[in-house]
Amino acid sequence: MTIGIPQGLIHFKQPYFWEIFFNNLGFEVLLSPLTNKEIVESGVNVADPETCFSNKVYWGHLVWLDGKCDFIFVPRLKTNHEKLEYCPKFFALPDLAKIIVKTPILTKTFDERKQRFVRSLEKLGARLNKSSRETREAYELSLLKVKELKEKEKQNFLNKISSKKPKIVLISHPYNLFDSYVNLRIEEKLKKLGIEPIFIDEIDEIEPGNASKIDFHWEFGKEIIERINEVLKHKIVGAVQISSFQCGCDAVLKEFVEKEFRLKKTPFLYIIIDEHTGEAGLQTRLEAFVDTL
Amino acid sequence: MKDKSNQKPIVTFARWGNYSIAFASLLEQLGMEVIPPEKVSPNTIIEGAKITPDMFCFPMKATIGSYLPALKKGAQKVFMVQNVGGSCRQRYYGVIQDKILKEDGWDIEFIDLRTTPKDIYTKLKEISGVSTLELIKIAIFFFKKLRLIENLEKMSQYYRPRELEKGKTDRTLQWALLELENLNQRKDFKNTKKQISKKFSEIQIDKDKKLPKVAVIGEIYTVCDSSVNFELEKKLGLEGIEIHRQMDLSYHLKKILCPWKDWIIQKTINPYLKSTVGGHGRDAIYEMLDYVKRDFDGVVQILPMACMPEVTVRPILEKIHQQSKIPFLSLSLDEQVAEAGMDTRLEAFVDVVLNYYKNKKI
Repeated sequence: MTIGIPQGLIHFKQPYFWEIFFNNLGFEVLLSPLTNKEIVESGVNVADPETCFSNKVYWGHLVWLDGKCDFIFVPRLKTNHEKLEYCPKFFALPDLAKIIVKTPILTKTFDERKQRFVRSLEKLGARLNKSSRETREAYELSLLKVKELKEKEKQNFLNKISSKKPKIVLISHPYNLFDSYVNLRIEEKLKKLGIEPIFIDEIDEIEPGNASKIDFHWEFGKEIIERINEVLKHKIVGAVQISSFQCGCDAVLKEFVEKEFRLKKTPFLYIIIDEHTGEAGLQTRLEAFVDTL
Repeated sequence: MKDKSNQKPIVTFARWGNYSIAFASLLEQLGMEVIPPEKVSPNTIIEGAKITPDMFCFPMKATIGSYLPALKKGAQKVFMVQNVGGSCRQRYYGVIQDKILKEDGWDIEFIDLRTTPKDIYTKLKEISGVSTLELIKIAIFFFKKLRLIENLEKMSQYYRPRELEKGKTDRTLQWALLELENLNQRKDFKNTKKQISKKFSEIQIDKDKKLPKVAVIGEIYTVCDSSVNFELEKKLGLEGIEIHRQMDLSYHLKKILCPWKDWIIQKTINPYLKSTVGGHGRDAIYEMLDYVKRDFDGVVQILPMACMPEVTVRPILEKIHQQSKIPFLSLSLDEQVAEAGMDTRLEAFVDVVLNYYKNKKI
């Protein structure tokens, strides 16, 4: 049996985890390819015109998987281990996916206010005819593997932070940062301009006392502000925030992110991406920004 | 020098349709000097949009625009309601408005009311300093006024398409609202209410007229404020369509007091959506299913541009529309929507509804 996993949006919230987990459970996994032009276009065609760009990209991945596998896995992520909520648009993903594709949707609600993550996983495993022991084993193996992969990234961060080049921190949601088609290869572009880009997600160790003053109910809100306070302890020449067009959460978040950097007098650039964004325009803005540093 | 402690605090609040009348009298009764916000118009919206973050949703731009004139007239405090349980952006309205107004150079105090009865009670008591008994009396008066306003709106939804003299209902409604605005004595309430119902009963209507029925669903702020949605109810009513709307402030308050309503809603919409999406997303689906069952002739969804809950449920509403064939129109509002464009879309929609109604009869 093949389980399809769309490589967009929530996939980047728990990178590597789901494909390793299903592999360990003994299923074949079909990962949709990295975002490309066709995927974005097919996503835009089926999506509600006013939903955010990241959602449209996700629908594109779904459409690509449609008919190519037995199930498409779309989890319903509601709250994380800190009992903080994800973006409200994630709540309805499986229901909307059912409208868009004909392939059956495999889903499970992960709401840690009501049920622990492992327990939810066991229930998901039961639906796939796996005992809870098998599921637990698969889960633990996957965790180890993910940790290993993350360790490598951390090494990477330490290299980056100690590099002599001027460093810019890139702030966004993981699904914008790690999807290089979506963010118009911003990492590559900055490197060409002689800058060392640091992803906000790479900052892993957070010292206590960095908590934001605003009481966020969104997991990313709290996380991003904490990480910004952490990264500001290092020498950073500038910051770039990337938002998907029509992202409701970023409308709120941007105000606070900008404020943090303004307090530290760090230059700040705000970029909104959507399906029409041209690479040339971004190049000009980045060059101008780097010149001001 | 004047003694500051003796001065009444000068307050204002975000305008919200006809409810503003009830809000203003509530604050006045609590012993504050109220400068009411201005009616939402293209001008106030533009003023609000100037200082609001571009990506923020439309109600924020409209509300800021509505109380900016009051701030210019000297208001020092702004009341804002924050929805604690919600998942959407409305939760951060208070913090963000406070921030951008301070950045814009206003020296004001923001009073962020959480929508829990306890928090509202303690905050209002602290600010006004009235006794608990007095506060309860004021609250009862406020709810009476609120109910009356909602009843007036509901009544005019019924009267408007049936009136024999065109425009009579709206004139009566305007008069009644003005009466209510001037009503500040609790003991006069009964009398005023009687007068208003008398005036309304004087409107001559054609009671036996069979009319197509259209329901309005969507985001609570835009649905309830007629100046924000370009008087949609009036326009459809004058075209001979009976409007129904469940979504109003007392519906929302009732839901806070009776949480099992949410459970019923969830049970009904389970085949379509298995989770909350914040705001009144679930309610929109529930209401639409309800109206389909009650054999309505059309559904209009009103939402602010890119409102997270409403945009999320819109594909589901469209699916219901495709399954049931009920005419459906979704109108997104923002500072760039012009009235003429809205009118064109409404005219086309009215044609569809009338056609649907005619075919159904045969």
